[in-house]
Amino acid sequence: MKLEEAKPTPDAGAAPEAESAPRRRFELDDRGFDEVPKKYRKFYRRWEGPGDALGPNEILCPVCKVVIRSPRELRPGDRVYCMACMARLRIVRGAEGSLAGQVEY
Amino acid sequence: MDPELFRDHVRSFEFWFGAVQGYLEGTSFGLRPGAPEPPLDAAARDALVTVLCNYCVGETIALEGAGALIRIAPNRPTKVFLSTQTVDEGRHLEVFTHRLAELGVADPEAEIAARANPKLLEFRRRFLELVRGEDWEAAVFAQNVILEAMEFSVFQLHARNADPRTREILLGVIKDERRHIGFGENELGRRIAQAPEVRERLARVRRALDPLVLESFTSTLERVGAPRQDFDELGRSYLQAVARLGFA
Repeated sequence: MKLEEAKPTPDAGAAPEAESAPRRRFELDDRGFDEVPKKYRKFYRRWEGPGDALGPNEILCPVCKVVIRSPRELRPGDRVYCMACMARLRIVRGAEGSLAGQVEY
Repeated sequence: MDPELFRDHVRSFEFWFGAVQGYLEGTSFGLRPGAPEPPLDAAARDALVTVLCNYCVGETIALEGAGALIRIAPNRPTKVFLSTQTVDEGRHLEVFTHRLAELGVADPEAEIAARANPKLLEFRRRFLELVRGEDWEAAVFAQNVILEAMEFSVFQLHARNADPRTREILLGVIKDERRHIGFGENELGRRIAQAPEVRERLARVRRALDPLVLESFTSTLERVGAPRQDFDELGRSYLQAVARLGFA
């Protein structure tokens, strides 16, 4: 297995909601998240609490409350992995219109 | 990426080494050099000793449980993961015991025995019955969901107001706990999805065991002087975890 495959990239087979605009891409930097091997650290950051705002490429893991960061904009139907707690999440539109991660087992 | 490959990878020692290296390298007993030791008055010290003694009880339960569960784990990656968890739990017990020594506790074993919460000891007795009975789902539920989810919450709440050395130790332990709670939820979530009748059996385990852990950790929060909203947060965080598994 190539370790690079473990990146929390959206699932290519997912069915995103109809959005015609191309997805924005993001350069990820290391935000000091030290709970996964070095090569994966840029894909995560700490959640700073209620005042913290998530970017369009970020989702909060509901299991361990770590922010997962993708190199491209996330949309409903995408799937991401949280390496900090080993959860597999499906991106959904939450009740308030924002994106949320739903655990898939 | 295929979920099976992902699970194999994150449950491996290879992954574990890379993960713990990030936050344990350069530490000694969970502390970076020079972590300050502010003076504690007698009452605060005594309360902290009791709390740490009960953390040691919880970690001993998890150490014994994780080690024993390796034998009945259903496959190789799960056995390997439990071996990493066993190492984590042994480390937690060691760093909490070391902190007790820093606080002047000369005989940690005697102190832990004297200050252990009876509810937590009762949880241990019942949990080890599940382990001896080789009830994989119930034992993982008791250990990695009930015990670990509450520890995860209590350690975070305690760390907010703890002295710098205790706080640093707790923050390191919390990082390990993320893997443990995620493993338990994932393992049981898949099994419940495949065999929904498992949920009813685990609901009975939950009714029997979670009041024991909740009461003992509520007592912990009282001892560290946590504000009332922290008690509510402990319950809420735990209930969110079990709700995701379908326990209302």
